[in-house]
Amino acid sequence: MPDLWGLASIATKFALYLGVLTSVGTVLTSILFQLSGHRRFTVMFASLGLAATLLSFSLAGATLTGDARGMTDPEMLGLLWSTPVGTAVTLRSLGLVLLVVGLFLGRIGWAFSLIGGGLALWSFTTIGHIPGRSRPVLNLVLMFHLVAISIWIGILSPLRTAALDANGATDAADLGHRFGRMASVLVPLLVLAGGYMGFELVGSLSALLGGSYGQALVLKVLFVAVLLALAAANKLRFIPNLATGDQAAANHLAKSISFEWMVVVAVLFSTAVLTSVLKLPA
Amino acid sequence: MAMKGQVMKQILLTAMIGLWTTGAIAHSPLETTTPANEATVAEVPSEVIMDFKGNIRLTRVSMTHAETHTVDLDLDSFDGFISGYAIPLQAMGSGEYVIEWRGLGADGHALNGSFSFTVE
Repeated sequence: MPDLWGLASIATKFALYLGVLTSVGTVLTSILFQLSGHRRFTVMFASLGLAATLLSFSLAGATLTGDARGMTDPEMLGLLWSTPVGTAVTLRSLGLVLLVVGLFLGRIGWAFSLIGGGLALWSFTTIGHIPGRSRPVLNLVLMFHLVAISIWIGILSPLRTAALDANGATDAADLGHRFGRMASVLVPLLVLAGGYMGFELVGSLSALLGGSYGQALVLKVLFVAVLLALAAANKLRFIPNLATGDQAAANHLAKSISFEWMVVVAVLFSTAVLTSVLKLPA
Repeated sequence: MAMKGQVMKQILLTAMIGLWTTGAIAHSPLETTTPANEATVAEVPSEVIMDFKGNIRLTRVSMTHAETHTVDLDLDSFDGFISGYAIPLQAMGSGEYVIEWRGLGADGHALNGSFSFTVE
């Protein structure tokens, strides 16, 4: 069982993933599918990501001393700042601020939000188990993985809102159909990218099943499998029914998306455990 | 439908609790120590030596004697990221000495671990 700082680290990492991926994902889907009206939602999650970024940095200081003193100790924080941790915090904070500023700049703002979102996602390639391998290809695969999962998370709220709109069945069906077409390419690549990174990190079947890191990874993959099943049900059943004007399909889709959110939370939580406190197989 | 939802929630909750309790915290790149882990020595050593696999900056090292007295060891004479540490030790007589350490790897990863030895 992780100590108090380990638990705090997991919680903060989870908030960080949820905040960054949801805000960047909403920006990406807004651009890709010409959606509007999600500024408040995006700002809320970007703020969560920013707060988690700063808290995560402060908590890292506490991990170095083993007590709360480290959270504000200039020597500990300065030491962290001199490592890739400082680079990640800078890129992430700058990226999220730029993303939010872009939301208030009208038509040209999307470029700022896009660059900001890119910086925030790229920050994850500066420190961690994958960047620790020092292989540029792996970093690119990780970046693709983050972009794809962001788009997936980013579509959930707009699609659910459209499905619940009494007059929005056609819009929801159209949005679901367009996303479904993109997902049919993106999702297989996402699975391949995840499989490749998992193989690079774990390396063997015995390490996958024998160690706590491997077991946690298996659990994450099981959650992802549930996510895939839900997405398939949406694409193959609810969206086509919605296109025919079936109101019951709209309710089913909205419920399915709510459940999809729960599974996304489980995936991000298991990722936070993997990246916070578990040791990679030797 | 509500029943199915409850079952899925239960599965998720069980899985998350299972994940929560999987052990193994933190990374431990400590290669060797002097005295060695779980060794028994005749006298209290004047220093403990810790050799790491890579460069690390130790940020806190504490010593607990006989599960009663805990003191922080002095790290002021060390600077930067290095792989070998010889840290002066305060003698507290016979009994078990537990050394707990925390540090930062040059790659930004927080590291920690512990080892112990007994003085006859």
